Amino acid sequence: MAPSVFGLLFVAALVLPLLGSAAALLARRAGWGNALSQYLFMLSGVLGLAALAGYFTALHAASSVVLLSSPVLAFSVTPLSAFFLLIVYLGTFITSLYALGYLPLYADAYSVPLTNAVSGVFLFALAAVLLSTTVFTFLLSWELMSLSAYFLVIADRSPESLSAGFLYLVMTHIGFACLSAGFLLLSGGHAFISFDGVREVARQLNPAALAAAFALLFIGFGSKAGLVPLHQWLPYAHPQAPSHSSALLSGTMLKVALYGFLLALTLFPGIPASWAFTVAAVGLISAFFGALSAAVEHDAKRLLAWSSVENMGLIFSGVGIALVLHGLSMPLSGALAAAFALFVAFHVLNHFAFKTGLFLATGAMVAKTHTRDLDLYGGLAGKWPAFSGVFLVLVIAAAALPPSGTFFGEWLYLQSLAAALRFSSPLLVASAAAALGLAALVGGLALFAFVKFFSAAFLGRARSEHAEAAEPMPVLLLVPPLLCAAFSVLLGLFGLPVLSAATAGFGSLVPVTTVVPGASMSAWFVFALLAFASAFAFIAYRVFARNRTVRRTETWDCGTPLTPRMEYTATGFSAPMRFFFRGLVMAQKEILAEAVVPGNPWIANRRIEWSIASVWEAWLYRRIARGIVSVAAFVKRLQNGVIQLYLLFVLLALIIVVLVAL
Amino acid sequence: MTFFLAILDGLIVLLLAPLTVGFVRLAKARFQNRRGAPVYLPYLTLLSLMRKEMTVTKHSSWVFAAAPFFVLASAIALAFIVPTAAAGVLPDFASNLFLVGGIAAFGSVFLAMGGMDAASTFGNMGASREMTLAAFVEPAFYMGFSALALVGGTWSLDGILRHLASLPWSAGVPAASIALVALVFVTLAENARYPVDNPATHLELTMVHEAMLLEYSGPSLALLEYASAVKLTVMLGLVASLSLPFFLIQPPVTALGLVLGVLALIAKLALAAFVLAFIESTFVKMRFYRMQEYFSLAFIVALAGLLLALISMTR
Repeated sequence: MAPSVFGLLFVAALVLPLLGSAAALLARRAGWGNALSQYLFMLSGVLGLAALAGYFTALHAASSVVLLSSPVLAFSVTPLSAFFLLIVYLGTFITSLYALGYLPLYADAYSVPLTNAVSGVFLFALAAVLLSTTVFTFLLSWELMSLSAYFLVIADRSPESLSAGFLYLVMTHIGFACLSAGFLLLSGGHAFISFDGVREVARQLNPAALAAAFALLFIGFGSKAGLVPLHQWLPYAHPQAPSHSSALLSGTMLKVALYGFLLALTLFPGIPASWAFTVAAVGLISAFFGALSAAVEHDAKRLLAWSSVENMGLIFSGVGIALVLHGLSMPLSGALAAAFALFVAFHVLNHFAFKTGLFLATGAMVAKTHTRDLDLYGGLAGKWPAFSGVFLVLVIAAAALPPSGTFFGEWLYLQSLAAALRFSSPLLVASAAAALGLAALVGGLALFAFVKFFSAAFLGRARSEHAEAAEPMPVLLLVPPLLCAAFSVLLGLFGLPVLSAATAGFGSLVPVTTVVPGASMSAWFVFALLAFASAFAFIAYRVFARNRTVRRTETWDCGTPLTPRMEYTATGFSAPMRFFFRGLVMAQKEILAEAVVPGNPWIANRRIEWSIASVWEAWLYRRIARGIVSVAAFVKRLQNGVIQLYLLFVLLALIIVVLVAL
Repeated sequence: MTFFLAILDGLIVLLLAPLTVGFVRLAKARFQNRRGAPVYLPYLTLLSLMRKEMTVTKHSSWVFAAAPFFVLASAIALAFIVPTAAAGVLPDFASNLFLVGGIAAFGSVFLAMGGMDAASTFGNMGASREMTLAAFVEPAFYMGFSALALVGGTWSLDGILRHLASLPWSAGVPAASIALVALVFVTLAENARYPVDNPATHLELTMVHEAMLLEYSGPSLALLEYASAVKLTVMLGLVASLSLPFFLIQPPVTALGLVLGVLALIAKLALAAFVLAFIESTFVKMRFYRMQEYFSLAFIVALAGLLLALISMTR
């Protein structure tokens, strides 16, 4: 393919979602309007993937394809953006395929044509952010992405969505303000300057301005990526959107925020170690809070959103650690920095695969059971065996268990930290040990969260009538999560061998990835080992089990018939975690008793009310809000209706302006 | 040749697993002034379970039926990738310590899912507790093994054992001693022993591991019991071989070396079983809601092991 051909393909993939939006609005009364829009979106995904295939095979890795270069708007494909475009177009294809069967189920809840119109703009903006090459284009696309995401969050117009959407809108604009300020500070005030130009300008800036710009950009991109303490909106906003949009928000948009951060890093002449340490620490703390909140969460979609906070935290900490190591000149530091960079790239793909799949599958589950509360599911594995199998594969990936791609990604992370313990600097060793302990705990909490998710939803008996009466899962809703699960498995099989410079080992039978000498892993060996061990277990059973009769019985009940109410719910399952982390998880439980007969306290209707409050909300957000309110109350005294005072203010303002101008 | 030795190492563990359980039970019985059952009884128990009819609750799904196979697969995989009788036989990538942790977690997850699928509160409670313990054990597990890795200069368990075996005992093992203590903590937690869990109880308030097995019967119970025996043998064999790295089967191998290696492993397992029984007979089980103290202690001991390893590295 000639460059001009896939240049055209990129342009077609970029604008097709807008056509889909237009089609959604024009054919809003037609029954096939949704299908037409989704087909156009899917076509955009396919064309985009084809263009990327051409880009990766035909072009030299360091070259870029210019799509549009006008003074106002400029788009081109660079190697970095091409990598992120891959998940944008994969996400576009899979979520649109899903929306084909999913959105008609919610024709009452959402305005389907409007949702599709907004989705089209959102898909366009996602790609546009990645393709932008000037500050203005980037900020414009970014704002378009944020705003269209807002309309996806409030798509069902419920009070809950509106308040989540408002929180999101406020946070995203704080982020946008920081981004604009940060970029303009770096570019010396030029808005229409290209990023190459910004790099030139940034070289002349003094260190204080650079530090301020870095802080602003980190806050801006970090708030979009859900890093603490600016993560508060994410677990509320992402789950409120329709599930295919939640999948895009969590699986793809968060990665676009990461892209923005990586792009911003390339603009600086150098990254001091203290900045890199900050990024790593903030990332790890986010990962911990995300994992802990996921472990105690009982809303299915919000649990996934918390897990996104966790995974983005891990990715950002990976970026931070890679930067720290990159700046060192010690033996092995280069190899370890490369391993962390590899982790970042690999985990972006892994998290995209399992999170998209889990959001889509959870959406299908919610559509069939009419609840998002994990405490009300149960017993779905018996009703949907194939669906539960797909879900289990995705859960294994989310919990970073072998042989999923996520396991190999996190192996790179943990292994490199363990290797960093050999540095001679005490500060580095202490940081590496702290990070290793925390990352291991994060892994354990994620494991807990996802076993809880799968068990509560699929295993045991149905805990509510809705789950009991769940209809069969339509194939159209099963296929997209299946594609994600398959992608996850493929990432496990080929991710590490392809992405890393693998060498042949074991009599050149398996590709082996080595981080530093003595620390190596082979994905194929792990697959072979597990297959061999499972076969071994099965053969042992076939050989030794003399009696293979199975009697179906009731669960052993000690003589009292069991009911589903006696089973553990997701909330019950996470009780130990709420106990052990009671300083950080502000769980409040209250048993309310109302006497049936007044005056007799013994016969009463009892119910329990409990909630988990956010420590960040209590410690940080509420205090800031209180501060703002008290400042406002103080300022209010000035506005007392005395016209002379107002005239005095105008006069004072004029004098100050004149003084400043002079 | 090394490939066959690696397979042999795994097979020896798989064969000896019920014997280890027999050793532990015998030693515990002697501590309690009982005569105790013969050490080969666990073999017979497993075989007789294999002949029994299986009852499966009708509220369970395919996960309940499949879980024992995955749990056993995890234990078998551990038997092959964790060095016990032999050293210097596995390539670095095969016994990477993070792979060992991942495979162990894989088994715990399916065990917990089997417990959750039984629709019984016992199984649910066991699963919730098992996953809590699995989450808490990870930092101590990785930190303890990373400390050993610093001593051995490699992150492969096989390489660490090879390194310790190549040095005189007084030159290698003391530097690793605190890390080995941390691994004892981890072993007790991973294998549901005192003070974390009581393997002999059927009292609902105290059990974790047994609670998840409660609804299993016949051959699938045999698979799960065998899996826990294999896991116990693997961990005890590893800790025993690391602290007493003598008579290991190492290439080039001789017939005498092979026999000595197997006998030495049996002796080490018997010793480890005695120590385990001693711990179980002298300690009391901790309340579940005090487990964070246990795991904090395990983590701190692992950190101390790391410190000792770093100091011995710089010397």
